[in-house]
Amino acid sequence: MSMMTGERAAADTRAARREARLAIEEFNAEYCAVLDDGDLMDWPDFFTAEAFYNITSRENFDHGRPVGLVYCEGRAMLRDRALAIAKTSMFGPRYLRHYMANTRVTGIEPGGTICATVNYILIETLAELPEGRLHQAGRMIDRFEPQPGGGLLLSSRIAVYDTLLVPNALVLPV
Amino acid sequence: MSWHPSIPAAEVREKGAVAVEADGLRLALFALEGEIFATANICTHAFALLTEGHVEGGCVECPLHQGLFDIRTGKAQGAPVTKDLATYAVKVEDGTVWIDTEPRAGAEAEAPAFAGAGQGPDPRRVVILGGGQAGAEAARALRAEGFAGPVTLVGAEAHAPYERPPLSKDLLLGRTTLAEAEVFEPGEAERLGTVLRLGLRATAIDRAARQVALEDGTALGYDILILATGAEARRLALPGAETVTLHSLRDAGDAQRLGPALRAASRVAVIGGGFIGLEIASAARALGRDVAVIEAQDRLLKRLLPEGPAELLAWVAGENGVALHLGAAVAGVSPEGVALADGRLVAADCIVIGAGAVPGDALGRAAGLETATAGGILVNARGATSDPAIYAIGDVAVARDEISGAETRMESWQNARASALRAACAIAGTPLPAPETPWFWSDLFGGTLQIAGLPAPDLPTVRRDGDAPAFYCLDAASRVTACIEFGDPELLRLGRRLIASGQPVDPARLADPDTDLSLIEEDDMKMLPIEKRFTWPASGLDRVPDWVYTSREIYDREIERIFHGPTWNYVGLAAEVPEPGDYIRTNVGPTPVVMVRDHDGGINVVENRCSHRAAEFCRELRGNAEEFVCPYHQWSYDLKGNLSGVPFRRGVNGEGGMGPDFDPANHGVRKLKVTQRNGAVFASFSEEVESFEDYMGAEMLADFDTVFPGRKLRVLGHYRHTLMGNWKLYPENLKDPYHATLLHTFLVTFGLLVAGNKSAMIVDPRGRHSTMASAKSDGATVSAENKAEMRAYRDGMVLEDPRLMEFVEEFDSPWSVTMQVVWPGLIVQREMNTLGVRQIVPNGPNEFTMVWTMFGYEDDDEEMTRHRLRQGNLMGPAGFLGLEDNEAIKFVQDGMLNSTGGEHLVALDPKVPAGTSNTLISEAAIRAMYRHWRQEMGL
Repeated sequence: MSMMTGERAAADTRAARREARLAIEEFNAEYCAVLDDGDLMDWPDFFTAEAFYNITSRENFDHGRPVGLVYCEGRAMLRDRALAIAKTSMFGPRYLRHYMANTRVTGIEPGGTICATVNYILIETLAELPEGRLHQAGRMIDRFEPQPGGGLLLSSRIAVYDTLLVPNALVLPV
Repeated sequence: MSWHPSIPAAEVREKGAVAVEADGLRLALFALEGEIFATANICTHAFALLTEGHVEGGCVECPLHQGLFDIRTGKAQGAPVTKDLATYAVKVEDGTVWIDTEPRAGAEAEAPAFAGAGQGPDPRRVVILGGGQAGAEAARALRAEGFAGPVTLVGAEAHAPYERPPLSKDLLLGRTTLAEAEVFEPGEAERLGTVLRLGLRATAIDRAARQVALEDGTALGYDILILATGAEARRLALPGAETVTLHSLRDAGDAQRLGPALRAASRVAVIGGGFIGLEIASAARALGRDVAVIEAQDRLLKRLLPEGPAELLAWVAGENGVALHLGAAVAGVSPEGVALADGRLVAADCIVIGAGAVPGDALGRAAGLETATAGGILVNARGATSDPAIYAIGDVAVARDEISGAETRMESWQNARASALRAACAIAGTPLPAPETPWFWSDLFGGTLQIAGLPAPDLPTVRRDGDAPAFYCLDAASRVTACIEFGDPELLRLGRRLIASGQPVDPARLADPDTDLSLIEEDDMKMLPIEKRFTWPASGLDRVPDWVYTSREIYDREIERIFHGPTWNYVGLAAEVPEPGDYIRTNVGPTPVVMVRDHDGGINVVENRCSHRAAEFCRELRGNAEEFVCPYHQWSYDLKGNLSGVPFRRGVNGEGGMGPDFDPANHGVRKLKVTQRNGAVFASFSEEVESFEDYMGAEMLADFDTVFPGRKLRVLGHYRHTLMGNWKLYPENLKDPYHATLLHTFLVTFGLLVAGNKSAMIVDPRGRHSTMASAKSDGATVSAENKAEMRAYRDGMVLEDPRLMEFVEEFDSPWSVTMQVVWPGLIVQREMNTLGVRQIVPNGPNEFTMVWTMFGYEDDDEEMTRHRLRQGNLMGPAGFLGLEDNEAIKFVQDGMLNSTGGEHLVALDPKVPAGTSNTLISEAAIRAMYRHWRQEMGL
């Protein structure tokens, strides 16, 4: 049913972008649900085996500086990240809630890869800070690969945050 | 039954405890009296290997939290361990230990090991050497502070412990008896449970065996030893000494000899014009004898008192019929009396030497304890000597101030008591009392002279004449440091209050007998000075009070004395401003500055504050500019910070504008002193700061240069985050090797820091900079045991992508990891191949911002750069290690914020008071940092 799964080059049409946007919104809703309320070990499954994942400040991104708060090459490193956080990291109890909005499909490449951006905010609530606070606001710069079953996987996600000063620590991915 | 072979039995017997793996289980083999036992090797309480613990009495103590298990049965012996250890059957065949890996039933089924383990008797044995007042007071104070273990007091004198002051006073006159001077009430020693072994001399201390050898040939074991060996009368080698009886006065025997001798004499000569000599003279006069006092100095008490009170004493002595011979050297003694060097003879039929006392430090000195240059055993604020198992109190102890290094030995009744109490508190684990103002008294010629505080001969002294004269010593800031009174104790009481208040006083008013001294306080004492309000815990550097981390006033003083003081503060990398006009906004401490490269190629650092109305004029994080223009009134500055333009400086149409005296040259922005070291830029508000190389010292500079070898740097980016803690907690964290394997489970789990890694905590001689270093073992050289350790201790815990942990050798250094603190606000990170600097920007006492600049070298290839970036996952605000430190620091600050009067305990590794230690289970580096901090802060 999808025009992106066949042999033909994917067409970058208005309709295709609209369809892709819906698929991405669905994807991100699931993605956020896993990070907010689910099992962190499921998070790497949103990515392709070779995926690139980076969280970096707008300061770095705008100046072409490559460091990331989290910098992963490949799903194996994403799994290591999830495992390390889940099993070895010490941090205070907290709730994190991710919001993604303003999804924009910026292009569909002939190979089917969907390029998109989405704004995000991350609200962190600590036991001693029950009113919660904005932890990050920024945008995701994404590349999605359509999968044979009809779903999407991220082959690249760069989270660029405007909130220059990270409050204390970023314990979970965005 | 599931038998598995392990290792040779001989190896277990040789080592006592060996970790082995059998059938996938991590087991411990122990040898007890030749027999071999197997237990699980992981503590049932928290993750730790029991084979690294201490084995004693058939039990193994877990190295982590001191949980105790019976090796034979696996039974947990009480808190914190509640769950028994699995045990396994063992047999030895052909010299090899075989283990049945099916655990024995039973151990856990038995009743829980908790037997309501209350406070039993303290197992530590305290031995007190010295049967004087200090020794006896220590025995008494130990019980008062709740110490429940056995206490033995060994005294060379046969008499029960007594106080010495009456010896030279009423006892000489026969007005009191020695029994009345005894420290213990009748039956008190028995009630205290103190074993008195009197008339017995100790001959040696064996610190390794923790034994005291006694003259009867026996030895006395101790866990804690208290040296209260006092002082001995100073002997003078005088020609003719063999022809007469030379008396001195130190102990009861001396007093018992001297009393009758004074009564039998008609003329008494006292050699030595100190307090003891004057007291003997006083007693001799009270007996109606002719008395002469011979003093080598040109006045009495020249080493102790200022001239005023010494002259008063000389006058009083003269009025009471004492003949004073000042500036008189003794040539010899004879039955006729004392011959002076000038040829005169002081006729006497009783000669007494009162030339002071020397500390009885021979036992401690022979045992290798640190001693003071002038004699005596050096102790810290708690009374502990250089051997943490040995304390010294009373006359033999020399207290060395941890901050100033000043050494003080006090021979006084008060100090005997107070030092005994301090040691007892330290041993019993109770809080130390605040230091008392020193107090001393002497009964002379029917009056009493009292001294409060520490007088010194060279201090300016104010005399106040009232009903009786009193003297006040003042320091350079006109604050009262000591009070000497002779006849009006009320003046001493008021003097004590002035000493405690630390307020400057007007010397003229102090001298005026019509000034009410209690009103001096009320008039002038609006605000106590900072060092009187913020006093360090009496225990010393092993405690850090909360106010160090939470007080705004302390924080302000840190900015003034540390960040704006003679320190080098990291501001950025030269690689961040490669071209003329390139600038970054940065900070020195909390103060905003701009680092900018000028057209001469130099790097300038100027305060980011317009000299007109203080506006922080540079707003962009970085950029390139030809000049800086303050947005408010368009004042402009060149790249060196010089004021180049003032709009309407000369007014409009001759009206307004600056006055004729306005010179732009005087109104540039504040320029800081700048230095560079291989691409790192430092600035200082102080013109007096030493060179960066001297500031660092050779050892610290070498670690710094490993990361900054002069290769061109490539900036990979920044992290910025706020931490909800006091800024000092961050350098402390990197001077705290104790936390590394305890907080950072990741390190242990994935083998980055494991038992057997080489590591070090190195501190510069001044205590401010430091390097925490460790060497990652590469796979080829890791022992099988350590490999087992590096594997996850929970199933499935291995890195899927091991590139994170790869270490590409690129430095000429024995260390794969160095975390260097460059005081006050820089951390240089070399975590294998991920390199960076962290700049601390304090933001009030309870928060700071950390700016990380991650970098590589310009000649790195693409793969090396990516490797550094991948390894960066370890560090930063989301780093596997970094985030845990951030959280821990926040927890510490949270713990302090809503309480008051608290203090931290940083007492690990007492053998190293402060500085570099050989063990990672140490807080000596933190203590060194606070020694420096207190020196800089004057607190």
